[in-house]
Amino acid sequence: MNILLFSILKAAAVVAFLGLNAFVLIWAERKISGYIQRRYGPLRVGGPAGVFQSAADILKLVAKEDFVPGGADKWLWTLAPAVALVPAVLVYLVLPIGRTVVLQNLNIGLVFFASVTSFTLLGIFMAGWGSNNKYSLVGAMRAGAQLFSYEIPLILSTVGVVVATGTLSLQGIVQAQVTHHEWFVFPQILGFIVFYVASLAELNRTPFDLAEAESELIAGYFTEYSGIRWAMFAIAEYSNLFTTSALGVTLFLGGWHGPWLPGWIWFLIKSYVLVFVGIWIRWTLPRVRIDQLMDLGWKFLFPVSVVNVLGTALYLMVR
Amino acid sequence: MATDEGLRGGSGTTLAEPAAATPRGAAVAGGADAAPAEPGAEHRLMTINMGPQHPSTHGVLRLIVTLDGEVVVKVVPDIGFLHRNFEKIVEGWSFPGIVPFSDRNDYLGAITNEVAVCLAVEKMAEIEVPVRATHLRVLFSELQRIISHVLFYGTFGLDLGAFTPFMYAFREREMGYTLMEKATGARMLYAYNRLGGLRNDVPDSWFRELEKFLDYLERQAWPEYMALLIENQIYRERTIGVGRLTPEQAVAWGASGPMLRATGVAWDLRRAAPYLSYDQFEFDVPTGKNGDTYDSAMVRMLEIKESIRIIRQVIRILPDGPVLGRVRPNVRPRPGEYYSRVESPRGEVGVHLICDGGAKPYRLKWRAPSFCHLQLVPLMAEGSKVADLIAAVGSTDVIMGEVDR
Amino acid sequence: MALWERLWNTGKSMVVGHGITIREMLRKPVTVRYPEEKPPFERGSRSVPVLKVNEETGLLNCVSCGLCERSCPPSCIEIVQAVGEDGHRKPWPETFQLDLSHCMVCNLCVEACPFDALEMADVVELSSYQVQDLIFNKEQLAELWKTSRALRVAGGERLDAEEAVAAGTPARP
Repeated sequence: MNILLFSILKAAAVVAFLGLNAFVLIWAERKISGYIQRRYGPLRVGGPAGVFQSAADILKLVAKEDFVPGGADKWLWTLAPAVALVPAVLVYLVLPIGRTVVLQNLNIGLVFFASVTSFTLLGIFMAGWGSNNKYSLVGAMRAGAQLFSYEIPLILSTVGVVVATGTLSLQGIVQAQVTHHEWFVFPQILGFIVFYVASLAELNRTPFDLAEAESELIAGYFTEYSGIRWAMFAIAEYSNLFTTSALGVTLFLGGWHGPWLPGWIWFLIKSYVLVFVGIWIRWTLPRVRIDQLMDLGWKFLFPVSVVNVLGTALYLMVR
Repeated sequence: MATDEGLRGGSGTTLAEPAAATPRGAAVAGGADAAPAEPGAEHRLMTINMGPQHPSTHGVLRLIVTLDGEVVVKVVPDIGFLHRNFEKIVEGWSFPGIVPFSDRNDYLGAITNEVAVCLAVEKMAEIEVPVRATHLRVLFSELQRIISHVLFYGTFGLDLGAFTPFMYAFREREMGYTLMEKATGARMLYAYNRLGGLRNDVPDSWFRELEKFLDYLERQAWPEYMALLIENQIYRERTIGVGRLTPEQAVAWGASGPMLRATGVAWDLRRAAPYLSYDQFEFDVPTGKNGDTYDSAMVRMLEIKESIRIIRQVIRILPDGPVLGRVRPNVRPRPGEYYSRVESPRGEVGVHLICDGGAKPYRLKWRAPSFCHLQLVPLMAEGSKVADLIAAVGSTDVIMGEVDR
Repeated sequence: MALWERLWNTGKSMVVGHGITIREMLRKPVTVRYPEEKPPFERGSRSVPVLKVNEETGLLNCVSCGLCERSCPPSCIEIVQAVGEDGHRKPWPETFQLDLSHCMVCNLCVEACPFDALEMADVVELSSYQVQDLIFNKEQLAELWKTSRALRVAGGERLDAEEAVAAGTPARP
């Protein structure tokens, strides 16, 4: 009984954090992009800094008309946002937030993370096919090809860390960094770069945002979604932004390790630094073309991550 | 026909076209074609519409694009959404009134439009223009060129997915607008030229502000533009080799301005057919090598520097004097026709004026460079990918106002 | 480009580009927060032709000759001359209507007027909720002239000497 109550509380905490994270990140992205572009972002809603802009956005989205496009595959279309959002929630299960704070210390934590995030791909395909719109379908195909291609470098880049620590548990990897007093970003710099680039591609963010911003031509896989259904995709995207950054922090930047402050504060600080870097990159770089994106994934990131794994393994064998 | 057999043999749905593009349809019909791709190819093609309203910056341009997967098979620009009857309306107006109206054609290169009209009418009515006015016209044309090319930089970046250079470009354009407002009274559509010169003179303090703006542009803004976008590797991969034009194609289709110079043809009206007082100033004409979008953008960026150079020379040699010559209130050019051409930021703007001795023009034909450049888009983009099509259209720097007039 | 050159250029351009954006992020935004802050509106900016009022007599300079009406390209001026009780036409306008929604702000009316009755005002905050509010009659135009700080530049030769010196424009003899 206690366990059930505790589990429900943990789940509620995750959902609450998810919502709060999306709330803050939407505002933060608009403010940061504004200041990069020498303008103010949201200004009027909620005081001089516009902090409640996200609330205004949510209210507006809730008030929109809720419709199902004609001819759409009703179940596929309706469930697609959920299928995109559920993995975003599930991965919080294995993130080590503090020395003893982790929702479920799975000893295959990394595999769980990687496999669950792959479900987003399914959600995108469901959205694209279920919309009964040829533009959505082609957009979803492109997004699907992109996500699929970048899964492999993403996972391979983490294998170097796994080989070095010998454990797939995320809490164990952080512990290894703590005991060695060395964050993995230094010896595994190649892995970190590949991981970060692949994660930007997984998140459909510029410079890899063909699925969304090719709006001049094809409106993307969520063109037929409006109101709260679209908001679910957006919340999933911002949540994935946070969790992917959190994974990068866990694997490469020492997780919750840090002096004086409690672990979870360091975890949050480091994760949000990586999130900021993601936002910064988005507003600096132009977009790559689809074939250049494929080239980058298969012909550059994939070999580099393989080389990284082999190099790590050789080094460890020799030592 | 193979296509009908393919349709009859296929699933017959009209929803998802790939489902109907079945090679097995051709096989059912008896294998009319040896290569299954051929009868299926027509079904695989998808015609989509980049409608007149779209979030990119070209204006009201409609492109009817036929795609085979990711590759553009055919693109047809559809224009006319901004047609405002310029040429017919001015047949009912007297000549001084045409000048402010011509601003609206190429609204990003307004001064050059006015200069084109003024040159035509002044030639036919034999109106004398004072020297100071001629030099100031050169100065304002070059300032207009700077402002227009800075905007090109911003919108080209936006077409490629870089959102920030657009904002930086507008920061400098705001400074340019403020300068123009101090001199002419208006920010974008100036109505500054008059038959016989300019509407009003500019005070000396304005030249000091202009020099400050030019210094800032040359030393801070231009290197920043280059470093942020033009030297970015992603940008280079997106634009080098994309939208290639040969010099023969460009000349045959009537390209002019930076589009023509990007292919390597060193044709600049300020050099080849000097008007106003351009023959008194020293400037280089930047040309490209490959005729691709990278060269097109680079030519424009280098032209910004050349324009700064020209403006500095004008300021140095500008004499005192009136800016408006003596003009009769009722301008009646002698009958005949005349074609005046100026080098606008987009290319050659031509005004073909036919007068019959009355106070209104008999016919005024406006030659818009963007009209010819838009016809080059199929040549540049067919066979390449969708993203290249967008880059190609962006690099032509079309202004729909002058395409449709 | 060779692979190494591409790699090197990629790294360099990424670092430089991000340096630029982060530097710009830390500078003050250039936005002017209208309507709480107002940008410096330029003197000499043209917005609407207004009717000048003779300060001594309080009457309009306009004698309703109609030259501005004829020279206006989009025909946005409409003048009806006043007729007195004796049936004779009087040298002032009964109605002088200017349709600002059609006005091209080209200054041709000001230049055409031989009686110095028109001037370009530099009021720019003229938006209204109804298009009909943009049709100004002569009283509104005279008010606009009085309340605005119009720089009287009309064809160069009729520049008031003191105004010119104050504005920095060299006065014509």
